[in-house]
Amino acid sequence: MKRYVKPAVYLSISLAACGGAYAQQQVIGAPPESLNMKLVGSSDLQARSAYQPTIHHQGDRWIAYIGHHGGTDETPTPINPMTERAEPNGTSIVDVTDPAKPKYLAHIPGQEGKYEGGGAQMVRVCDGKTLPKADANAVYMLRTFGGEGHEIWNVANPAKPVLVSRIAGGLKDTHKNWWECDTGIAYLVSGAPDWRTRRMTQVYDLGDPANPVKIRDFGLPGQEPGSTGAVPTELHGPISTGPGGNRVYFGYGTNKGGFIQIVDREKLLSGPKEPTAENLRLPEVSRLAMSALNGAHTTFPMLGMPIAEFARDKDGKSRDIMMVVDEAILNECAEARQMVWFADVTVENRPMMISSFTVPEASGNFCQRGGRFGSHSSNESMAPVYYKKMTFIAFFNAGVRALDVRDPYHPTEVGYFIPSITAATDKRCVTVDGKERCKVAIQTNNVETDDRGYIYIVDRANTGMHILELTGPARAAAGLP
Amino acid sequence: MRKTVAAFAVAICMLAGVAGSDHARSQAEGWREIAWPFPRDGWPAGRAFRCGSESCGGEIEIYVRPKAGFCNCETGVTDDEEVDRVADLDMISPRFVAREPGGVIKVAGMPGRIRAYDLDMADGARHSAVGIAVSRRCDVLVAVAQGEGAASGVQRTALEFLATADMTQWMISAMGG
Repeated sequence: MKRYVKPAVYLSISLAACGGAYAQQQVIGAPPESLNMKLVGSSDLQARSAYQPTIHHQGDRWIAYIGHHGGTDETPTPINPMTERAEPNGTSIVDVTDPAKPKYLAHIPGQEGKYEGGGAQMVRVCDGKTLPKADANAVYMLRTFGGEGHEIWNVANPAKPVLVSRIAGGLKDTHKNWWECDTGIAYLVSGAPDWRTRRMTQVYDLGDPANPVKIRDFGLPGQEPGSTGAVPTELHGPISTGPGGNRVYFGYGTNKGGFIQIVDREKLLSGPKEPTAENLRLPEVSRLAMSALNGAHTTFPMLGMPIAEFARDKDGKSRDIMMVVDEAILNECAEARQMVWFADVTVENRPMMISSFTVPEASGNFCQRGGRFGSHSSNESMAPVYYKKMTFIAFFNAGVRALDVRDPYHPTEVGYFIPSITAATDKRCVTVDGKERCKVAIQTNNVETDDRGYIYIVDRANTGMHILELTGPARAAAGLP
Repeated sequence: MRKTVAAFAVAICMLAGVAGSDHARSQAEGWREIAWPFPRDGWPAGRAFRCGSESCGGEIEIYVRPKAGFCNCETGVTDDEEVDRVADLDMISPRFVAREPGGVIKVAGMPGRIRAYDLDMADGARHSAVGIAVSRRCDVLVAVAQGEGAASGVQRTALEFLATADMTQWMISAMGG
């Protein structure tokens, strides 16, 4: 524990000494900043840098699975107090049945390596009873293993996970996967060694998690092996609507040159699999190019939304909406603002951006607080409690922001929560005049919700997980009692 | 092929030596700065330079700029495909073909890779080009040089230019010092 206390403590002392010069910076001991959201409980996640949280209802329990980035320069392999061993960051498993008292159950070590060079960032969970050919008593967790490959674990007993299978391997990189729990089809963000990009899609049938079956590789023409010329922007992640919706929405780019690709799922799965430019083009329905200044981290579909303003219109009362979240990657606003965009994709071959949302920088002097400011990701749960009503956006040093999206043409912020920093919160540095200057700030990286309406946010700067609930008008807007 | 790759690697090492030489020229003879010739994209414009036929044996242009946050912080530039992706070749022409596998290089003390290409220009002409991507922490610095002459000449001239004291100083500064 002692090793990861130092950066925040030293910086807090020096910041206090600087007096008002950094008045907008967070200090240890200060309360969280919030509007219509309140803290229910928290877990320090062993001070590991966190990426994706996934909350799963297992029997009568609620379990949070949290993917981690690799360790830091100061602490490459934090100690797991449960095993008393130094373990490379991997996956934290936390019982959140009582959200006020989260109970840390297990840590599964990930790939050795620091920051994005190690860990096990991504995690998805499916019950064996919903997968077509799985053990009905099992609960399966699909996770990345650093940038090298993917793994499936049986977490039916979440305190004692058991490795089931390893997929791929020898990859250039991995990232934000999607797994259909009813069909078993998984869209794994991978970097196949012979492709010209770090991140593309490997489609697998994981209906029997013990025996993964590869269906095909997929990407953009120009990324495939043997191609020449310009290489399109790399993939960030897909979200599938399954066989019912028959669409997969891919987001490309991170903070630059992003676009949304709408893909016919059936053609993707059944079409010719040889990775030629023609075969890669075949399943594509359309693309929406974004500004070169923005990327697409999350492409979250909200299809068939009734729009109150259009209720008396003869046509177009209901719209298919795509929420696109960019990812800020540079500290202290050293890039164009990364934010949230809403596209109307009702007419699929003519998608159009209709609105946007960002946190006003001046509302917290966020460019001077330290670390990243801008969006990163949204909740991806489609549970009825919030779906098509409220979304939650991880906004790095601006915490999590609650958006009322019932009118996606005019999304409205109805709440926010910026956790307090702790002694574990890691510094974020920039180079000024050739010298490194560091600050400590919350870096809310990802967010997820559960079917009960709790909101889980996790911190990239090692502050852990905070479990929140809506209050006041925001709670009323979501229709919660 | 092995001989070609080996010869290429030796040439790169020799040129890298030039790039890191204490005796590098402080000024680049025959080169003049020109306006950044490409439309705005995701990164701020960089610096562009042209060397005429009389000084460089054929007109050569080079475009240099940093791309902040665009590199794997841990591994840096590790493969040729990354040079294909980041080195701004597509700004000149989306139709380019690598001539052969690239090699390692250091520019302004930063490690990375260099690779030679054939470019099919919009007017039907074929140009030679060399793409360079080097990194420091999570940032990458890219340079691409192009000309009508042989690829070896474009590469040698471009690397000599990048090794001048003025350019070295600017590149280090542009990457945060």
